[in-house]
Amino acid sequence: MKTYLQLAWRNLWRNKRRTLIASASIFFAVIFALLMRSMQEGSYDYMVDASVSMYTGYIQVHAKEYWDKRSIDKSMELSLTRIDKIDSVKHVTLVTPRLESFSLISYGNVTKVASIVGIHPELENKMTDLKNKLISGKYLTEKARGVMIAEGLATLLKIEIGDSVVLYGQGYHGVTAAAQVEVEGIVKFTLPALNKTMVYLSLDYSQWLYAAPNRVTTLSIMIDEAKKINEVHAAVSNLFDEKYEVMMWSELMPELVQSIEVDNAGGIIMLGILYVVIGFGIFGTVMMMTAERTREFGILISIGMKKWRLSYVSFLESLFLSFIGVLAGIIVSIPILYYLKQNPIPLTGEMADVMLKFGLDPIIPFRFAANIFVDQFLTVLVIAMISALYPLSYIRKLNPVKAMKK
Amino acid sequence: MKISSINIFINVFFLLTVIGHSQDAKEIVRKSDELIKSKSSYAEVTMTVVKTDWSRTIGMKMWALEPDYAIIYITEPARDKGSVTLKRKKEVWNWIPAAQKVIKIPPSMMLQSWMGSDFTNDDLVKESSVVNDYTHTIVGEENFNGYDCYKIVSVPKPDAGVVWGKLLIWVAKNEYFQLKVEFFDEDDFIVKTYLGDDIKEMGGRIIPTYWEMIPMDKPGEKTVFIYNKIEFNFNVDESFFSERNMKRVR
Amino acid sequence: MLLNLAWKNIWRNKKRSLIIITAITLGLWSGLFSVAVMIGSWDTTVNSTIDRNLSHIQIHTKEFKDESLTSHYIPDGNKLADEISNLKEVKDVTARVLIEGMASSPNSSRGVNIIGVDPSREKNVTTIADYITQGEYFNGIKRNPILVGEKLADKLGLKLRSKLVLSFQSIDTTLTYAAFRIVGIYKTESSMFDGSNVFVRKSDLYKTMNSDPIVNEIAIRLNSSEDLDSTLTILKENYSSLVVETWKDLAPELEMMYEFLIIEMQIFLAIIMAALLFGITNTMLMSVLDRVREFGVLIAVGMKRVRVFFLIMIETILLSLFGGIIGMVLGTFTIWYFSDKGIDLSLFSEGLSAWGMPTILYPILPLYFYGVLTIMIVVTGILAAIYPSIKTIKLRPADAIRTYG
Repeated sequence: MKTYLQLAWRNLWRNKRRTLIASASIFFAVIFALLMRSMQEGSYDYMVDASVSMYTGYIQVHAKEYWDKRSIDKSMELSLTRIDKIDSVKHVTLVTPRLESFSLISYGNVTKVASIVGIHPELENKMTDLKNKLISGKYLTEKARGVMIAEGLATLLKIEIGDSVVLYGQGYHGVTAAAQVEVEGIVKFTLPALNKTMVYLSLDYSQWLYAAPNRVTTLSIMIDEAKKINEVHAAVSNLFDEKYEVMMWSELMPELVQSIEVDNAGGIIMLGILYVVIGFGIFGTVMMMTAERTREFGILISIGMKKWRLSYVSFLESLFLSFIGVLAGIIVSIPILYYLKQNPIPLTGEMADVMLKFGLDPIIPFRFAANIFVDQFLTVLVIAMISALYPLSYIRKLNPVKAMKK
Repeated sequence: MKISSINIFINVFFLLTVIGHSQDAKEIVRKSDELIKSKSSYAEVTMTVVKTDWSRTIGMKMWALEPDYAIIYITEPARDKGSVTLKRKKEVWNWIPAAQKVIKIPPSMMLQSWMGSDFTNDDLVKESSVVNDYTHTIVGEENFNGYDCYKIVSVPKPDAGVVWGKLLIWVAKNEYFQLKVEFFDEDDFIVKTYLGDDIKEMGGRIIPTYWEMIPMDKPGEKTVFIYNKIEFNFNVDESFFSERNMKRVR
Repeated sequence: MLLNLAWKNIWRNKKRSLIIITAITLGLWSGLFSVAVMIGSWDTTVNSTIDRNLSHIQIHTKEFKDESLTSHYIPDGNKLADEISNLKEVKDVTARVLIEGMASSPNSSRGVNIIGVDPSREKNVTTIADYITQGEYFNGIKRNPILVGEKLADKLGLKLRSKLVLSFQSIDTTLTYAAFRIVGIYKTESSMFDGSNVFVRKSDLYKTMNSDPIVNEIAIRLNSSEDLDSTLTILKENYSSLVVETWKDLAPELEMMYEFLIIEMQIFLAIIMAALLFGITNTMLMSVLDRVREFGVLIAVGMKRVRVFFLIMIETILLSLFGGIIGMVLGTFTIWYFSDKGIDLSLFSEGLSAWGMPTILYPILPLYFYGVLTIMIVVTGILAAIYPSIKTIKLRPADAIRTYG
């Protein structure tokens, strides 16, 4: 055994140039595959994260039927112990409670329908970056008795900071909810749907207003990795019985699913094409390499080496070659990908403008995770080993006499 | 939708003396409808909304000038006391004491529930159209709740903006009040039932003073009205029904 | 004569030639197909929304943008629509009445956007007719037909031919009710869309409201999305008192997705190209090195080095061209095949297969790409051979001959 290994190893280094060229093709293949996959996974995470942090969160917990009926009567009790339990689920980064309702907001002669949300100001900000959307006035505090209004709505109602608006609607169990509140802040959203309807109260005050003591309509959950959502969903669902519903963002925003998933699927096709390309790159190199050694093989066989031994050695050579290429590729990629993750490629131009409008960093994100390396390591290795089969069949078919004449 | 139901509710205190009798179905319905039509009136009503896990009782005073004007003043519960709803033609305003403000209900909120009940703001403004939007036929007679009644089937005319497939109305033969109305969808399922009971004299008329509206698909739920006092031909004119007056009624 | 020799050389070592040709072919094919997938991907995401409802450009009045009341209509809207449809860039135009109202059934009621259209014009501008799962597109019910989304039908507990009552504020602000009958039920990718949009004939609305034939929105479909900016400019100039917007203004989230997708795909393409170029280079390198001895002999027997260089280059050019042609044919064929059949994306994505509706990607490749990519790849193949060729001919013949691989 040792002899074969030694032989294989020496063969490789006997012709440095050839070895280098062959393993280079594998080396670059790995790097390309890693770059592409890292970027794809990075942008998937990024897109999902950007979308869910606008409002919904990755996962929401409601009382059963709330999502369908959207009525404050289908609210649930706020349980701090349950929230703690959710917080301790692996990958959960944040849980924020909300009391949501549709009511009328009126100022002067203008009355509009608004989406009134009672929030926990700090948690809400951690999730949706609400503080950064404040364009005038001040941000709500936990005990605030005023409102923050979306800019579009404020314009329609012709409201400024300090004005008093009337909130009027229906509270829990049919109770009338009516109050005059002071406008403490104005927030601006990019999405017109949000910018024309959102009104924020402190959770405390909204619970009083809607006669819903200690009640919430929604618990919104954020996680650290988009891909882990199924895992987290299962764990959270276990904490609630059938009187509740636990929904994922794909159920809450089905339109978004399509855009993001089409992107994802398209990326996989591209990855497949990449594999074909690098597969051929490797294969072509191997073929040429083998053809080059025809004479050498011919001589060895004619002086008595059994074909199978030759095949075996050749196989070991391929193995070494592949490992050298793949490992070198990974080693070099690790710092590159890490660097890219920490310093994503910045975007400029029209693209950047659009992203900034949405409050997103104009960057191309990269993902740095073990599974990316493992996946690409294995895939490229497999491709390389398949290519290695070629020399084996070549040797088998070899006619030593003809070979030596080459 | 609750066209004839809410109109029975709002207009029931507009009773007129029935003049003469008629055997034609349409005539019967017309008379039944007129029983509760165009006049001014004042009533004190208790409405109870019963849901599976909660219920709510609202006390109110109502002034009305059919068909276009009404003011409803809430007397209880405490949190809602002093709220006033004003109807002028097809528009609805609310006076909110807590905010000291009058708000006009925008069209998009018209189909929201009124005061937490099963009735909507929209129901308050809908014109009684039972007579003309439907085609009526007597299909039988039945003694219901101690009264001999005509059973009348009313089918909406093709262009009528009503959701029902048909109505089945029990009208007392001699007295002309409606004792029961069943509302059907187009597949002949009863969607809700309206029952009148506790027939007695009030304000000079004999009318059902206890009304129940029961949705058939929500077992255990209903809305109940009890008339505690009614005055007919109450002296009032259009100017009474104003925004200013909303804030003054007691 | 060199040409002759080059040709013979190619055929002499079939295997090597085949490898080189295949490298180029494959390279070109993958380049073409990736770009087609990229463009098709954008198409699927963005175009389906544009097709379904947004269309390329929409026009409203300023007042309508602030508050979408039916009374904020476009003056002479129908006439405007006809004017615009005469522009050469425009495929067709639909002039719509938009009313926010309620749809009611015996069981329930929901807020809806009532969209009054001229069915035949609408069909030329949006594809809602293609999404009908039950019933037909305004055919089968004579009086007040209405098209509703599946989600809405479910919520209201209604089915085909059921009666549905629309209530809304008419132009003169009176509350109006009218009965409609469901003539068709549609289902799109967005259940939110399905749950809130209903389509009726504008003639029926005018009759119900007893109003003039007003329109609130003009939606325009262009013959080609490439004319978007130019058409926008023309319309903005001609109708400066109105608000003219593209789908990018109307759905900024879509624009963002679209831009991101473009950048992403460009990068992927760059990576694939790099891998490709590298693969070709490697193969070429190997093939030249393989023949070091052969070239050494040629030089030793007197062939001028320059000529040997040209010999190699001619062979390379021929092989690259060969590979290029085959690659282009292969690319054209696969793209044509899939652009017809489509690629079912749900095979690649769990999220999409849970969707229920097949999401099909149709690869698309504008003609000019064929030319660009072919040239790019062929040139790469040629360039890749230059360096090793130069190195080879610089060798001393004696050393070259001694190389035995």
